[in-house]
Amino acid sequence: MREKTTTLYLGPQHPGITGNMMVKLQVQGDTVVKAETHVGYLHRGFEKLMERRNWLQSFTIVCRICVPEPDPNEENYSRAVEEIEGREVPERAKYIRVMTLELARIATYLLWYGGQSGSAGLYTMPQWSVGDRNYILDLFEDLTGGRIYHMYIWPGGVRRDLPHGFKDKAMRTMDYLEKRLDDYDKLMFENSIFQKRAKGVGIIDPEKATEWGVVGPPLRACGIKSDVRKDDPYEVYDKLDFEVPAMEGSDVWTRALIRRFEIRQSINLVRQALDKMPSGEYYNKIPNPHKWTIPAGDAFVKTESARGEFAYYMVSDGSNKPRRVHVKGPAYVHGVTLLENLLVGENIADVSFIMNSLGTCPPEIER
Amino acid sequence: MSENILHNEQKLLNLLEKKFLLKESRIIRAKRVEVKVEPKEVIPVLLYAKENSGYIHFAHMSCVDWIEDGEFEVVYILWHPEEKINLFVKTRVPRDNGSLPNIDFIWRQANTYEREIREMFGLRFEGLEGRKEFILEDWNNIPPMRRDFDTEAYVKEVFFHRLGREDAKDVREKIQERTDEELPDFAKKYSRD
Repeated sequence: MREKTTTLYLGPQHPGITGNMMVKLQVQGDTVVKAETHVGYLHRGFEKLMERRNWLQSFTIVCRICVPEPDPNEENYSRAVEEIEGREVPERAKYIRVMTLELARIATYLLWYGGQSGSAGLYTMPQWSVGDRNYILDLFEDLTGGRIYHMYIWPGGVRRDLPHGFKDKAMRTMDYLEKRLDDYDKLMFENSIFQKRAKGVGIIDPEKATEWGVVGPPLRACGIKSDVRKDDPYEVYDKLDFEVPAMEGSDVWTRALIRRFEIRQSINLVRQALDKMPSGEYYNKIPNPHKWTIPAGDAFVKTESARGEFAYYMVSDGSNKPRRVHVKGPAYVHGVTLLENLLVGENIADVSFIMNSLGTCPPEIER
Repeated sequence: MSENILHNEQKLLNLLEKKFLLKESRIIRAKRVEVKVEPKEVIPVLLYAKENSGYIHFAHMSCVDWIEDGEFEVVYILWHPEEKINLFVKTRVPRDNGSLPNIDFIWRQANTYEREIREMFGLRFEGLEGRKEFILEDWNNIPPMRRDFDTEAYVKEVFFHRLGREDAKDVREKIQERTDEELPDFAKKYSRD
């Protein structure tokens, strides 16, 4: 008997989809035979907007590109401007930046804990991890004044120095989180339902992964040691002690294990950055923003965000506005070509499960 | 920077210079090499970089509108996972009726980039298949990322003026008009007067 093919629209309003996008599925029974990513529900034209604003005004836009993880955007933008202009950044600012980026990574991973287990039906985990994420947001509030969007890492350094008593508070939060992670293990990684759901699902061909543009934890779960922090070190990552994990398996389970390892490492990196932070200036003052021009040139900078390589291609024509700022988030590949191919042959119930494991974030597909 | 550190970068440049007719080539800094080529050389250079030199990761592709030159500059950025070098392949095509070869048979994810550039800049890719619409829907204006697309004029034409701001006056002007208003006590210390 020939099975009938049905079209199923997953999203744009669907609790399992990680934002406003739609996956058009062709299904036979409950098996996906074809998947197509449709975006366009969230296009805000940031790249065009930046062409009409000066260098500092554009900076206020970039953190809005990805809601769960705004800091890599700020850092990339600032570093691209600094690279074209040749502006020096004080050493202390670099350490503060690294600390901020690692805090952002922890916050994103905590959100991922919630999404990944929530899409497998474990609804206690999101309550815990999103609750604990608030402690990181509290730290951000102390540091920057904002909980989600910080606008903190800006060209020339960071916007202000650490507030009084911040180091102690951050250290206490890190100690607390480290203990909590053991509880997470019991709830999520030792749970046989999660293990059964995650093992052997969403397998990326390790031989082809680099060629297909896979980055970040999904690539490291293919057994490939690739991390921008080591491969093309930025800020002060070359002065800190950490390891890049890599595991064989390339399924959802392996990706989860990689993230489990990395969140602990990020906690350690925050501690290291706070300990090694030198005193001194934190900001190399920029000129009057209305008259601030950047010499003609272009730069390609990248950051290892929690979901993989986050890159900016920036072009200046020597005026007081950017000529072109092109943002490339990991989801640009993960959410379109990779997802479309990976979903074929999978069960409908696993679609959002796999999306979460790839870290798909629609706002950075369309910017 | 000593010669020794940029050894791999120089090796790549020498290889490409020997093999292809490059318009320009340089080492931007450590880990960044740039070559400029004619549009017809794009596929040979990219294929050579991927198959023979190990630049297997397609990191990025971007398009810049140089309206004063009447040209688009398209940039392909590749990454070598072992030597840790980013190779920029740049090419220029005319803005009007220019076209580039499609490269999604080399890297399948290039398809997404090309579809976006086709839609946002109106640049044609020979042999590119895939759904016509990527981000925009029922767009009947000129491609919006072109420099000559005026966002302000478009907004004025398409969207209506929001009610509540009928006088269209700048908020700051309105506030300045209120000179005789008495400030509340708590706000006095912030006053500029």
